[in-house]
Amino acid sequence: MISGAHGFAATWRRRAISFTRPRRAEAMPVAIDRRRIYVLPTRFGLFIAALLCTMLVGALNYNNNPALLLGFLLAATAQLSLHATHLALSGIRLRDARAVPVHAGDNSILELRFDALRARPRPGLVLACDAARTVFALPDAEDVHVELPLPTTRRGWLHPGRLALSTTQPLGLARAWSYFWPDVSVLVYPTLETQAPPLPTHEGTGDRMRVRAQGEEPHHLRDYRVGDPPRQVAWKASARTGKLLVREYEAHSDRDIRLDWNTLTSLPYEARISRLARWVVEADRANARYTLVLPGQLLGPSQGHAHRHACLQALALLPHG
Amino acid sequence: MARTPSPALDRRSRIWCLAAAFACALPLSLLIPHWLAATLVAASVTSIVLAWNRPAPSALRFLLTIALVGLVFSAYSFKLGRDTASALLLAMLMLKPIELNTLRDARSLIGFSLFALFAAFLLDQGPLTLALALPAAALTFASCARLADAEVGVIGLATNWKRIIAIAGLFALAAPLALAGFWLFPRLGSPLWGVPDVAQAKVGISDRMAPGDWVDLLSDDSPAFRVRFDGPMPPQESLYWRGLVMWNFDGRGWTQPEGWPRKMKPAAQFPASRPVRYEITLEPTDRRYLFALDLPQSAPEGASLAQDLSLTSRDPVTNLRAYTMRSAAPARFEPDLSDGIRAVALRLPSGFNPRTIALAQQWRSETNDDAAIVRRALAMYHEKFSYSLAAPPLGRNSVDEFLFDTKIGYCEHFSSSFTFLMRAAGIPARVVTGYVGGYRNRIGDYWLVRQSDAHAWSEVWLPGRGWMRVDPTAAVSPERVFRRAADNAAGPGGGTAFGQLFDVGDWIRHGWNDFVLGFNAVRQQSLLSAFGLPNADSSDFAIAFGVVTGLLLTIVGLFQLRDRGPRRDPLLRAWSRFTGRLARAHLRKLPHEPALAYARRVAALVPAQRDDVLSLSQRFALARYARPEMDDQARRALIQALRAFRIRNRASS
Repeated sequence: MISGAHGFAATWRRRAISFTRPRRAEAMPVAIDRRRIYVLPTRFGLFIAALLCTMLVGALNYNNNPALLLGFLLAATAQLSLHATHLALSGIRLRDARAVPVHAGDNSILELRFDALRARPRPGLVLACDAARTVFALPDAEDVHVELPLPTTRRGWLHPGRLALSTTQPLGLARAWSYFWPDVSVLVYPTLETQAPPLPTHEGTGDRMRVRAQGEEPHHLRDYRVGDPPRQVAWKASARTGKLLVREYEAHSDRDIRLDWNTLTSLPYEARISRLARWVVEADRANARYTLVLPGQLLGPSQGHAHRHACLQALALLPHG
Repeated sequence: MARTPSPALDRRSRIWCLAAAFACALPLSLLIPHWLAATLVAASVTSIVLAWNRPAPSALRFLLTIALVGLVFSAYSFKLGRDTASALLLAMLMLKPIELNTLRDARSLIGFSLFALFAAFLLDQGPLTLALALPAAALTFASCARLADAEVGVIGLATNWKRIIAIAGLFALAAPLALAGFWLFPRLGSPLWGVPDVAQAKVGISDRMAPGDWVDLLSDDSPAFRVRFDGPMPPQESLYWRGLVMWNFDGRGWTQPEGWPRKMKPAAQFPASRPVRYEITLEPTDRRYLFALDLPQSAPEGASLAQDLSLTSRDPVTNLRAYTMRSAAPARFEPDLSDGIRAVALRLPSGFNPRTIALAQQWRSETNDDAAIVRRALAMYHEKFSYSLAAPPLGRNSVDEFLFDTKIGYCEHFSSSFTFLMRAAGIPARVVTGYVGGYRNRIGDYWLVRQSDAHAWSEVWLPGRGWMRVDPTAAVSPERVFRRAADNAAGPGGGTAFGQLFDVGDWIRHGWNDFVLGFNAVRQQSLLSAFGLPNADSSDFAIAFGVVTGLLLTIVGLFQLRDRGPRRDPLLRAWSRFTGRLARAHLRKLPHEPALAYARRVAALVPAQRDDVLSLSQRFALARYARPEMDDQARRALIQALRAFRIRNRASS
């Protein structure tokens, strides 16, 4: 629920966004130029500024020339450090941004690739997106991969929105920041149910093992891995080649698993999605062919990574109930 | 908004901040009594070491604070002044590092440290203080850099030396700006508020002179003032720097009268020769009186000349003070003495020194000639007295005891007793204090007068002649009076390498006084008038400051801001102008639409300009995507054509 104060803050936030650049998502690569760098003194910077002002006024009043010299030197240095802060950001370029889908509740790692148009030592860059932040350096304009862990809470498309790149280098007197709004969306799969019942319409792991071991034509031979049952070892072939080989069978199409939305009527809406997501993952892990039936959608029967993704995406993009 | 706790400080950042704090404490601790500074630093170091791993209990910190503050106050005998305040600040700066656990602690310590640097300049403005302050400031800023790293958690990226060098580079870049501020920032002609007094008076001539007071003063070799003569200088034995004229004797010491000489016009004087011109640069004394060669012809700005020709400044001399003077030895000085002044110049406290009074009355009964009595007194000093700084202390009848018993002393004893003797004999007399002689710095061609040149002499009034300077010390031991003059050929180091070094060192200090400390509103005016802007006021300076600072920032900016984003391709700009014109005719290009597809769509809607639109788009697509090496001429022609494109009225076609 959004309280009144939050609503007010959100309004101002929207207004602030409309005043700052960029105002909408932008295509990459994006370089920071001076028009989109914002610089404001930090709290420490204000403290030092007040201190130096007091000193300069006192020195002027007493015509205390050495104090005046030192005061002007420190003030000018502080001023130039603001330029340096600005320059630490200027010319940084975001080459691309992408993220691998994750399940809601996990951190989605937003992978960003930065370089710079002009070589400069650029330490202490802070990339932040809401509460998530990561620190990196961009020395000598070379390509740098930055990973920003984004917490996810909800299935569906996650739009990271604006990323703030900021620094207080070199003296911590001022903070310069600039926004990137990469045109990137992260797919967040539904949360997996933790205590899900086994996959429907098959006889359990041991049976499947038997079926697979006895069943069809051997699909192909592969190297032995620790834990393979001895029954599956292709002894003749192993004797021929001099190394242990194991038979692998292709699951048969009439063994298809059917994951049906409509069979789960007893569960609440989101729990159904969670369970189906869990089953999709398990079916994929079992290397089975499976079909996902959703309201108005039928996916499969198929198997493999692409199918898994298609199923999970379909689940993720179901309307929020 | 909830305040997040400040992050904890790592060990290396802590060491950085401590180094900065102690470096900033150094200039200040050299300026307060050494034992006090040593105690404060020792207390601080001990408690930092003890509290290194776990914070000290707050009760202990509180007790330590109370103890050190009490120590500082007692060191200044519970008087408040800017020296007391500075010592208190040092005590605080030394106490602060005991609690140095978070980033916020570290940053407030840095603020404190900078404050202490400036406080040091309130006590001393010498080159040494600035030379110590600059590296301390650099260290402080380097600590800021370290803290900026620690705040985001990138530790150990830069080595310590790289940090210092980076800050030094920033200082070097800032130096022209700082100098522009120094020379051009509008100065105040007169301060808005006064400099706070000091609790502990500086060494120097004070407003009271009693025999035996000056032992410390006469062994202090710190400079009192420097003099540069403009043209010929008077003979060395007449280098008497007149300071205070003391009329009042209370039996023990001599003081200036409370005001009447300052309210009266300066007494008449008739110069014996052409006046000499010179400039005095007086070191700060925190007192009001100024010094001038016998006898000053007029008062410098901000000062007045009293009836007895002593100089008084309007404000205490808290900063280096330079003034130009003209002086001439008198042929006659106040030849007509008014009765009132004569009475003051003869007044003696009753009940003191009966033997001296008896001696004076006996002399008076033998002759009526004042000059003969003066000669007789000087002869007596010459024959029977000796000069020594180790004079025995004197009791109640100080003059009696000195003249008849101890017979050993220095200028204070001689001038005091001589003046008393003269008054007792009915000759108007007064004590004058100031300096005598000086030491010539041959490198800089100026004269250095030190505190150890302090001197007291007498003036007696003789009929027809007026006031005449009589120096009884010179009668006893002329070499003591003109010690400097005698040493002068060789200098304090006796012409050795050390002497040369001393000359160079003092010459640098003189230059510092002249160029750095002497710069004020008046000198700033002459700076702009050299550029053809006479009578510049503070708004002119504000403009000059703004212009020069802006110029310098631009130059520094060219150095720093060479980086601008990539310039947009002029071809692309011409193209967006072209599509913009079409968009205004409601033929907006969709963001995803390729140039040629768009052109075909437009061409269908604007048949009259079909060929134009198609050919322009084709050429653009070629230039932009297919042949980037297209020659400049064709490219420019295309840009021209794109810019020249107009939509003709569609209704008419």
